[in-house]
Amino acid sequence: MITVNNLTKVFQQQNGEDLYAVNDLTFTAGKGEIVVLLGVNGAGKTTAMRMLSTVLQPTSGNATLEGYSLKSDPQNVRANLGFLSGDTGLYARLTARETITYFARLYDVPENKINTRINEMADLLDMHEFLDKKIDFLSTGMKQKVSIARSIIHDPPIMIFDEPTAGLDILTAKNIISFIHKCKEDGKCVLFSTHIMREAERIADKIIMIHQGKVLTQGSWEDFKTDTGLHDLDDIFIHYVNSITEEDV
Amino acid sequence: MNLKKIIIIYKKEMLDLVRDRRTIITSFILPIILYPLLMIGFSSMMSRQEMKLEQQGIVIYLNDMVHDESSNELKESLSQIENIQIIDEAIVYNESTYLKLLQDKSIQALINIEDSLSSSGYRIFNITCFYDETSEKSSMAYNKVRDNFQEIEEVLISKRLEKIKINTEILNAVEIKKENIAPPEQMVGFIVGKFLPYLLIILTISGASVIASDLIAGEKERRTLETILVSAARRDELVIGKYLTIITISIITVLLNLLSMYLSFRHIFMQLGTSMGEFQLPLGNFALILLLMLPLITLFSAILLSISTYSRNIKEAQSYQMPLLFGAIMLSMVSFLPGFELNLGFSLIPIVNFSLMMRDIMLNNYQLNYLIIIIGSTLVLDVITVYISIRLFHSEKVLFRTVEEKSLKFWGKNKRDVLNLQFVMLYFVLMIIALYYIGGSWQLKNMMSGLIKTQLVLILLPVLLIMRISKTDIKSTFRLNYTNPLNFLLVLFAALPLLLLSGILGQLINFIFPVSEAYLEALQNLVTVKENGLWFTIFVVGILPGICEEVMFRGFILNALRKKGLWYGIILTAVLFGAFHLDPFRFLPVTLLGIWLGYLAVKTNSLYVPILAHFAQNSLAILITNYAEKVSFIKLIIREDEIAYWVIIPAIIILYLVIKGLTILNPLAINNNE
Repeated sequence: MITVNNLTKVFQQQNGEDLYAVNDLTFTAGKGEIVVLLGVNGAGKTTAMRMLSTVLQPTSGNATLEGYSLKSDPQNVRANLGFLSGDTGLYARLTARETITYFARLYDVPENKINTRINEMADLLDMHEFLDKKIDFLSTGMKQKVSIARSIIHDPPIMIFDEPTAGLDILTAKNIISFIHKCKEDGKCVLFSTHIMREAERIADKIIMIHQGKVLTQGSWEDFKTDTGLHDLDDIFIHYVNSITEEDV
Repeated sequence: MNLKKIIIIYKKEMLDLVRDRRTIITSFILPIILYPLLMIGFSSMMSRQEMKLEQQGIVIYLNDMVHDESSNELKESLSQIENIQIIDEAIVYNESTYLKLLQDKSIQALINIEDSLSSSGYRIFNITCFYDETSEKSSMAYNKVRDNFQEIEEVLISKRLEKIKINTEILNAVEIKKENIAPPEQMVGFIVGKFLPYLLIILTISGASVIASDLIAGEKERRTLETILVSAARRDELVIGKYLTIITISIITVLLNLLSMYLSFRHIFMQLGTSMGEFQLPLGNFALILLLMLPLITLFSAILLSISTYSRNIKEAQSYQMPLLFGAIMLSMVSFLPGFELNLGFSLIPIVNFSLMMRDIMLNNYQLNYLIIIIGSTLVLDVITVYISIRLFHSEKVLFRTVEEKSLKFWGKNKRDVLNLQFVMLYFVLMIIALYYIGGSWQLKNMMSGLIKTQLVLILLPVLLIMRISKTDIKSTFRLNYTNPLNFLLVLFAALPLLLLSGILGQLINFIFPVSEAYLEALQNLVTVKENGLWFTIFVVGILPGICEEVMFRGFILNALRKKGLWYGIILTAVLFGAFHLDPFRFLPVTLLGIWLGYLAVKTNSLYVPILAHFAQNSLAILITNYAEKVSFIKLIIREDEIAYWVIIPAIIILYLVIKGLTILNPLAINNNE
């Protein structure tokens, strides 16, 4: 369960002016729910997700994950969280097993359960044949599987995916999408960011459209369709973007 | 912090590094093979070179102008030298031809034999030997020829003595016997101690820097940093785990270095053989050096880790490491320099202390108290740098420093942009260079006119030109504002206490880092009124710097730096002001004075106040230097050029009252005073 209240992040720019990367973000995501942050590049998706994963500190506002506050209890927030993004790297000189074990230990998975967990992950993601190979020798798809296993080894109740399919081929991307569905089935709370409308449509229970740090609207596609009277996803998005720029004028 | 997590991180980093070929080569293999290669290669090269020279033989031209029996005897004796070829068919003596042959190395020496008569009628052979000192072979030829002639001389002299029936023993009046009392360990220590610190420091830092840049900057580059940041490990655990990794690898590197060095030396000395038969290397000293290296390793690891945290990628980290490496090399070279002995001051300077101590350890005459001071002071620095590392790792601005710092925009579209931080810093550096080269040469020609030109042409004029060209409003930028006249009065009261306080600070610095008398004298001369007269000196040393330097620092530079916060601006300006005086011994007092002047400028919002304060400060120094003896009050405070320490208390009280007065006169707080 994620509850986000007025989360705001301000960066100081070179010219001394403030940049509101995320401006007053408020939403909730429940168990077994897939919530998608949808926006163009630079809309503030990554910043929002980095705040929720405690990598960045919010300028104002707060959020709780599984009841733990970002601001006062970041340690427990991270312990209940799996984080995966499309461009994260892996340690090339370690084997897949060593990598996953390392993260399992960091997440306090009991030593006697680590191997069982790794075997479960290997079954699920079909990675037995390369478990003991060094990451350097793996293909992109294999690496992505290791990344998934790394992020979920401690079986967290919340998963955050930051553009996890960016730059991946169709087959690998499909693996990830099916994995996200699996998370939902397992009753996890999933937060997912993308700039691809179709992807959002395919998996989202709830969509939050953001633009220039601000929330344009949130709801399901059906809500948006009835709200705007449009049918094309791209058109709907542009409609909402225009609506705020017009307001500004 | 959780020790278990730190160990997990540490283990993983070690595993990762041990699998890295670069680490293995720079940290493990290089030290193992370097010393044997260096020493054995060097020594065998030396001996082979000597043998080659011996075998090659030498060619000399002999020009015998005397041509009689005894000169033939000289010639004969030369042919005794092994592998020598003497050419004496020269019929016409032509010096330039032979010199040319000597220069293109077809002969090694040219010997010219003439003779003359001494005043008491004895015959003297005047032998000139032309040779080329830069050529090893030619030098060797000279040495052999010289030794040979010296032997001959003895023979000739004893013949003469026999003729007049005098015992040749009369020649032995003084006999010198060479007896080197330095024990072999000390000899080795002397040789090794000179370059060991240097070598160890370079190898340790270069090994550690490869690892350090990989550990954080490398993670940023490979995009793995975020994955561990979102893991359940805390950031300080990550930093400490990585820190321990660098330390471990560095210790292994140093151990391997010392071991390899020890074995190579032993090998060399065993080869040298007989003369060092009883020779034993001071193994205990190697152990002591290892102990000494530990705090230094931890310090370097922490600095390198901070650099790595700040850098966006490995390449950037490496370029930031360069100055550190160069600085360390320069400082470690003091062990090469004669006359540098460890004292309290040096034992507080990192690397210098270490380098000198290591030399002393190898010489077996180190002092325990300095050893403790060195280790203690390094550990304090350690703690500070580790703390900085952790702070940096917590700062998202540093950790996610993605925005490229914008290149210098000289004349931006926006007028306010012109005098930005980067521009002012660049300007400051250029000004310092000009000051050093141009101003320095002016002052060398003529002190007083040089100072005037420096102040007006190098300091004031460029600033005014920049303001003019950038069309910046001088009055508001420089704070040329009206202010309560009472401010001036208060500032004058502060002049004497400040002068005394900075004098005492100077005394303390002098106590820790003794300054040479000659230097102090030169400084004294600057403020001494000689042929120039009091008023002229006050004009050059008091009024001009008061105006020009204040316009430059409290006007121009402070204005640019204050945008990051007024106190930040005041302090940084003061540091630049301290650096501007190009004198490490006065840096601290001048910087503190700079803070005072910056405070005045901002507090009273008028540049006129610091101008007056600066002028008063310098002029008072002139007056005290020249007229101290005539004023009984001053004699009470300054005795034999030492300021009495009790003046600190009244000085601080007066200073406090002045600040209080300034606060009443100018009620706005510093940070609101815009």
